[in-house]
Amino acid sequence: MIGLQHYLFVSAVLFALGVFGIFLNRKNVIIILMAIELILLSVNINFVAFSAYLGDLVGQVFAMFVLTVAAGEAAIGLAILVIYFRGRGTIAVDDINRMKG
Amino acid sequence: MSNTASLLLTLPELILSVGSLALLMVAAFVGDSATRAVTWASAALLGVAALAALFPANGGGLAFDGLYHADAFSAFAKLLIYIAAAVSVVVAPRFFERAAPLRAEYPILILLSSIGMGMMVSAGDMLTLYVGLELQSLAAYVLASFMRRDSRSAEAGLKYFVLGALASGILLYGISLVYGFTGTTLFSGVARAFGDGLSTGELFGLVFVMAGLAFKISAVPFHMWTPDVYEGAPTPVTAFFASAPKVAAMALLVRVAVEAMGPASSAWQQIVIFSALASTILGGVAAIGQTNIKRLLAYSSINNVGFALFGLVAGTAEGVAAVMTYMAVYVAMTLGSFLCVLQMRNAAGEPIETIESLSGLSRTRPALAAAFAMFMFSLAGIPPLFGFWPKFLVFDAVVGVGLWPLAMVGIATSVIGAFYYLKIVKTMYFDEPAPAYAPVTSYTEGTLIAVSALFVSPLGYLAIPALGAASLAAARSLF
Amino acid sequence: MIQTIAFYLFATLVIASAALTIVARNPVHSVLWLILSFFNAAGLMVLVGAEFIAMLLVIVYVGAVAVLFLFVVMMLDIDFAELRAGYAQYLPFGVLLVLVLSAEMIFAVSAWSAGGIALSASVAPVPEGVPNIEALGTLIYTRYLFIFEGAGLVLLVAMIGAIVLTHRTRSGTRPQNVSQQVKRRPQDAVRKIDQPVGQGMDL
Repeated sequence: MIGLQHYLFVSAVLFALGVFGIFLNRKNVIIILMAIELILLSVNINFVAFSAYLGDLVGQVFAMFVLTVAAGEAAIGLAILVIYFRGRGTIAVDDINRMKG
Repeated sequence: MSNTASLLLTLPELILSVGSLALLMVAAFVGDSATRAVTWASAALLGVAALAALFPANGGGLAFDGLYHADAFSAFAKLLIYIAAAVSVVVAPRFFERAAPLRAEYPILILLSSIGMGMMVSAGDMLTLYVGLELQSLAAYVLASFMRRDSRSAEAGLKYFVLGALASGILLYGISLVYGFTGTTLFSGVARAFGDGLSTGELFGLVFVMAGLAFKISAVPFHMWTPDVYEGAPTPVTAFFASAPKVAAMALLVRVAVEAMGPASSAWQQIVIFSALASTILGGVAAIGQTNIKRLLAYSSINNVGFALFGLVAGTAEGVAAVMTYMAVYVAMTLGSFLCVLQMRNAAGEPIETIESLSGLSRTRPALAAAFAMFMFSLAGIPPLFGFWPKFLVFDAVVGVGLWPLAMVGIATSVIGAFYYLKIVKTMYFDEPAPAYAPVTSYTEGTLIAVSALFVSPLGYLAIPALGAASLAAARSLF
Repeated sequence: MIQTIAFYLFATLVIASAALTIVARNPVHSVLWLILSFFNAAGLMVLVGAEFIAMLLVIVYVGAVAVLFLFVVMMLDIDFAELRAGYAQYLPFGVLLVLVLSAEMIFAVSAWSAGGIALSASVAPVPEGVPNIEALGTLIYTRYLFIFEGAGLVLLVAMIGAIVLTHRTRSGTRPQNVSQQVKRRPQDAVRKIDQPVGQGMDL
């Protein structure tokens, strides 16, 4: 029998993988952007699973808005990446040391 | 309530949306020669929206079944946000013009970002919060990398984007847990569910939501992006980041903490105490070694956000009122400092950002040096300047709930923080003069500096009755 | 029974392909793994009756976002081998992070049964006998109208942002001018000549 826990488990693992991906691929911004998409996917699974088990549609509405925003976010992220690449000829984040934090 | 009545309550957002769409059309068909007209039209629109926020239809209330609040709190925050946004719009053309004429999308993006900030401070539901926050953030990512030929600007945009998107993800995960364990996304519903005990799942949701919001106000430990982004972004954009979105995120944090998570205040209080202390200390210590004025102001903003958070620790109406007063004075101080930074340009008109170029400013440009010194003293919270007053209010609120030791530590850290502000004043007044800056050519900026300097001067104390009453009314509307 | 098998199939594939997305050596492969991951997540959502979100996931993500990623990966001429250097350096920290995060969240999840949920507080209960898409549409265009408009503005900002950042007018190109093409008439372009034999052509 599949319960809510199963869904939340999948989502928790996906979220952790997304955060892991950001730290693992410090040099490759494109993979970082994909890892962010994975995090948003895990959130969506959470919302849909909760929505189904609570019998409440708000979670699905929320998931829809998350999808919309994620699409916009991907577009802007890639646009910034493109101008960064044009200026520097690389997309490695470790090269972002012109300004030291 | 019917949709029409609800829409009337969201009039500030409606004005800005319709106005920005119209201006976008103008910009698209007329081209960059329309930038100046679009800039002033945007500032005017922000003024009209501020009026609409101050005097909501039917005296305000809830719109769209609780998704949107038009109350004194949101009106106060919106007024600050729109003023800060308008200032960052009108100072931009002169800064950008040396490379190429400013593109008309700049004021429009600020308008769209302001709509998002309006939604944030009026949010009554996690959904309004999220969409407003993203609207503000997406516009901000673009603004950070607006000088696309300058690789520092693109870099700032990229860093801001990656870390901002990660923070949004964390915030969203928290919201999804809160939704799942309380069964609702409405703040009032969340508060009701939190009222009958905090389950582990709800606690996790709360922690994730707080972490995501801490990033947006750049409180420690989520502050890493601030110095880099503030340094890399074009100066008018930095002025914008340091003022308007900060007020919006702080107001949002206060609203979420009080209105949605109020019954769980003992859980978030510890997080806020840690973040407030760490921000004031780190902001004060890390600023000491800086040589770039924009980085220094970034640490100063981290430091000030920490002080404002002390008011939230108190968790009372007085504490929240102190936070709002703090943000009002902070906006004036920050915008004033960044306006002074905008005057820092060499004889060829290129902007300079090093602190050493300020040396001897009191002899080459006495008025600018005096104004800058006032902002610095005020940011440090040294009486009799007005920057002292909100710090006093914040600690007064902390003492009011009996947290004596915390107030003591806070006051001690403000002394550490005062050090680097004084260093700048010393550079300006006692060091050998560096090459003089290019003369002032903009009356707008001069006037704005004068107005903000007057506000933070001891004359600002005349505003206390009005400011106090307004922020107390704002705070009361949350409780 | 079949649902259980489907769940485990989809869940395993989602997690496996997500893991491959972040460790794949070639970013094109990463994008393809991401697409697989989204497909299977859509499957998971269908299982709990959220067909519309599942459909959106496939249409928006696989159709638009993933293709955008592929486009950018191929447009930027990047030496990806070089980017993998220093990979192992972050591995121990990353693994630690992932373990702590998963452990924490699985702990939070197992607390589910302890959380008291007041279902009566639901503002939008799933209506009986109405298709998922219809129920969602009713909500979005009434109760969440304001948010819906806000989401429209988010997309507008994304559009303005992408254009303002990446659009550049190139000099030396010869773009198509549609109005000029349409305005052109046969008499401007065509000449009938009665060409005499043995003489040169007069152009």
